[in-house]
Amino acid sequence: MTIEHEILVIAAKSYGLFYLIGLSVIVLAYTFWPSNKKPFERAAKSIMEDEDRPWQ
Amino acid sequence: MMVSQLTVGERQLALVLLILMAVWGLVMTLAGADGLFQAQGTLIFLYSLGGIFLVLSGYFLPPPAANREDRYYDDPTKAGIILAMIWALIAMFVGDWVAWLLAYPEMTFDAAWASFGRLRPVHTTGIIFGFGGNALIAASLHVVQRTSRARLPDQLSPWFVLFGYNLFCLLAVSGYLIGITQSKEYAEPEWYADIWLVVVWVTYFILYLRVLARRKEPHIYVANWYFMAFILVVAVLHIVNNLALPIAFNHVKSYSAFSGVQDAMTQWWYGHNAVAFFLTAGFLGMLYYFLPKRAERPIYSYRMSIIGFWGITFFYMWAGSHHLHYTALPTWVQTLGMTFSAMLLVPSWIAAGNALMTLNGAWHRVRDDATLRFMMVAAVFYGLSTFEGSFMAIRPVNALSHYTDWTIGHVHAGALGWVALITFGTIYSLVPWLWKKERMYSPKLVEVHFWLALAGVLIYVFAMWNSGIIQGLMWRTYDDAGTLAYSFVESMEAMHPYYIARAIGGLLFLIGTAVGSYNIWRTIRMPESAGVVETPVPEPAARPVLRSGE
Amino acid sequence: MFNIHYRLERYSIRFAIGVLIVASIGGFVEIAPLFTIDETVESAPDMRVYTPLELAGRNIYIREGCYACHSQMIRTLRDEVERYGPYSLAAESQYDHPMLWGSKRTGPDLARIGGKYSDDWHVAHLNNPRDVVPPSVMPSYRWLGETELSRQDLVLDLKALQRLGVPYSEEMVTNATADAYGQAMPDSDEAEGVAERYGDATHIRDFDGNRQKVTELDALIAYLQILGRLTDAAYQNPALQKLGGPK
Repeated sequence: MTIEHEILVIAAKSYGLFYLIGLSVIVLAYTFWPSNKKPFERAAKSIMEDEDRPWQ
Repeated sequence: MMVSQLTVGERQLALVLLILMAVWGLVMTLAGADGLFQAQGTLIFLYSLGGIFLVLSGYFLPPPAANREDRYYDDPTKAGIILAMIWALIAMFVGDWVAWLLAYPEMTFDAAWASFGRLRPVHTTGIIFGFGGNALIAASLHVVQRTSRARLPDQLSPWFVLFGYNLFCLLAVSGYLIGITQSKEYAEPEWYADIWLVVVWVTYFILYLRVLARRKEPHIYVANWYFMAFILVVAVLHIVNNLALPIAFNHVKSYSAFSGVQDAMTQWWYGHNAVAFFLTAGFLGMLYYFLPKRAERPIYSYRMSIIGFWGITFFYMWAGSHHLHYTALPTWVQTLGMTFSAMLLVPSWIAAGNALMTLNGAWHRVRDDATLRFMMVAAVFYGLSTFEGSFMAIRPVNALSHYTDWTIGHVHAGALGWVALITFGTIYSLVPWLWKKERMYSPKLVEVHFWLALAGVLIYVFAMWNSGIIQGLMWRTYDDAGTLAYSFVESMEAMHPYYIARAIGGLLFLIGTAVGSYNIWRTIRMPESAGVVETPVPEPAARPVLRSGE
Repeated sequence: MFNIHYRLERYSIRFAIGVLIVASIGGFVEIAPLFTIDETVESAPDMRVYTPLELAGRNIYIREGCYACHSQMIRTLRDEVERYGPYSLAAESQYDHPMLWGSKRTGPDLARIGGKYSDDWHVAHLNNPRDVVPPSVMPSYRWLGETELSRQDLVLDLKALQRLGVPYSEEMVTNATADAYGQAMPDSDEAEGVAERYGDATHIRDFDGNRQKVTELDALIAYLQILGRLTDAAYQNPALQKLGGPK
C-alpha cells in the first residue's frame, strides 16, 4: 500500500508539472497562431451585430 | 403566456412530467418514515400540482404560431430574471437578519427554525443557487441563442430546467428550516434533492448542447465556453461531493461516503470550485457578453479571454486545499493548493483587465450609465477579490485569516461586489431588451441602487476586514509572561461594533435590491414602446401568471 | 493550418470533453493519493467509535448548523495548541461521515471540548449561553432539553455507517436503540450493555439532569463530552503539545 501511494504521489507531482507546461504551450500556441487572428476578431465583433431574430 | 407558447405535444409531455413529479411527491409523503421526509414529499406534490393547474389552465389555448422559429425564445429568460430577483430579496433579507443575530442573539424567539445555524444556509443557498443560479440560467439561455443565431430547440425543456431547478432550491431552503442538512458547506441539501438536481442539470446541459448544435454561426462565442464549463464542471463537483448513503430510501438522513481527511479534501475541492465554476466562470460568461454589448464596443482582446478561460479551467481545480492549511491534510497537498492559488491570479487578472480595457474610450458612458457602471465596478471587485484570494491562500497569511471574519469579508467582496453587481448590470440591460421597452422605468432609481449597493459592499467588507484581522491578532497575541494575552470571549466582545456595521452595510445592499426590484417591476408594467419592437405574438392577458414565482 | 481548437470547438461535445479533462486533472492529482494513503491517517489502535447516543448528538449538532460557527480542527500553530490543546490528527476524524472540521470560529474550536466543562455547565450554556458567558452571541437551545430524543432510527444509522466502513459490530447495530437509552439512564437495565460494547471508559450518566426521559440535550452533551476523547493518540506524543509557532 505504501509503495503504491508513493508512486501515485510521485506520478501526481511530476506528471502534473509536465501537464501544466504542455497545456500552457498548447493554449498559447493556439491563441497566438497567426491564422486564428481573423476568426477571433470576427467573433469579438459578431456579438455587436443586430440580433433581433435567429438566422434562417 | 407560458403555456400558450408550448405546442400541443409539449403541453401533453409537460402534463406527463408533472404528473410523474406529483406521484414522486405523493410516494415520498405516503412512504416517508418521518415527518421531515413527508413534509418534503408534500412540497414536491403541491409544487407539481401547481404546475399541473398552470398547464391545464392554458391547455386549450390555440397552439403557437408556426413562424415561432423566426424568434428567439425568451420567456424562460424573463421568468428566470424575475425568480432571481425574488430569491435575491428573500436571501439577502435572511442574510441581513442573521447578521443582526450576531449582534443581538436574543432575536430567535426560542424557535428552532429561527436560530442562526438553520438560517445561515438559507441565506447561502438562497444567494448562490436561488439568486445566482436563476440569473445564470436566464443569462445563459439568452446568450447562447443570440451568439448561435438559433432559437432554443423546444419550448418545454427550458421550463423544465427552470422550474425543476427552483424546486431544488425550495426543497433545500425549506429543509434547513425543519432541520434537514448534510452539513457540507454550500452542498447542504440531502440525497433526494441532490439526485433531483442531477436530473435537472443534465437536462440543462443537453439543452445547451442542442442549441449549439443548431447554431448558424460556426464559431462558438467565448461567453458560451464559460457557460459550458460552468454547467459541466458543476455537475461533476455536485455528483462527487454529494456521494452519500441514505440510511433508508424513505428517510431524509444520509451519511457522506467519505470521512475525515478525504471528506475534508473533497468538500473543499467542491467548495472552492463551486466558487470557481459557479460564481466565477458562469458570471464571466455574463461579463463577456453583456459588458461589450452595453458598452457598444467589442471585447478588448478576444485572445486574452481564451487564455483566461483555459487558465481558470485548469488552475482552479488545484486550489481547493488552501482551505485546509495547517490542518491534518498532508503538507504537499497544502503547498500544491497554495502554489496554484497564487498562479490563479494570472488568468483572473487577465479577465478583469480585459473587461476594464474594453471600457477604454467608453468612460463617458460609464459615467452616465449606471448599468454599465455596475459592470465596471463588478470587474474591479473581481480583480480585487481574486487578488485577495490568492493572498489569503499563502500559508502564513492564512494562519492569521482562517477561521476569522476576514474570510467572510473576502467572500462578500466576491459575492456582493462581483457576482451581484455583474448580475444587476446584466438584468438592467436585459429587462428593457426582453420586455421591449425603450429603457428602464426610472434610470434615476438604477443610479440610487448603484450607490446603495456600492456603499453597502464597502461598509460590509471594511467591517469584516477590521474584525477579521483584529480577531486573528487577538488569538495569537502573547503577553510578556509568554502566555496568550486574550481569552476567546474577549476577542468575541471586540467584534460587536463590527457586527453592527456589517449588518448596516448588508441592509443598504438589501434596500438597493428592493429599489431595483421595484424598478424592474415598474418597467415590466410600462406600456410597450413603439419602434423598438418586432411585433410580439399576441398574448392572452395571462402575463401575471409568470410572477407567481413557482 | 493549425486549427485543432477551431475544429474542436465547432464540435461542442468534444469541446465539453476537453473542458472536463482539463478541469478534472487537478482534482484527481490532489485527491486520488489521499485514498490510497495509510500515513494520512496515523494509526490509533485505541480509537473507539461513537456510541449511538453520541452519534445522535452529533446529528443534532449537524442539524442545528453548529459547524457554521465552531470548528473542530486545531491547526499546527503554537497559539492554537496552547489555547485548545494538542493539534488535531487525521485519525481523530477517521470515522466522521461527514467531517465537521468547519471553516469559521464565531465561537471557539470544539475539537477538544470533551471533559473541559461539567455536564451542568453545558446544560446551563445550551439553555441560555448568556447565563454562563455574558457576552456570548450563541443562540439559546432551550427546546433541546424538552424534546425527547428520537431513537428508533439509530439501528439504521449505525448500519449505514457500518456499510461505509466504520467498525460497528453486529451487536452494536442491533442494540443501538437500547444503548442510546441506557447511556443516559445509568440505573436502567440497558446501561450495562453500553459499557460492555463500547468500553468501561464510556460516559454512562444522566447528562441533562432530567431523569424522566432521554432528551436531545442528553445526546448533544454526550457528544460534546466525547469530542477529542475517542483516542488518546494526540495526548501520548508530548511533541504534539508544544509547537514553535508559525514560521
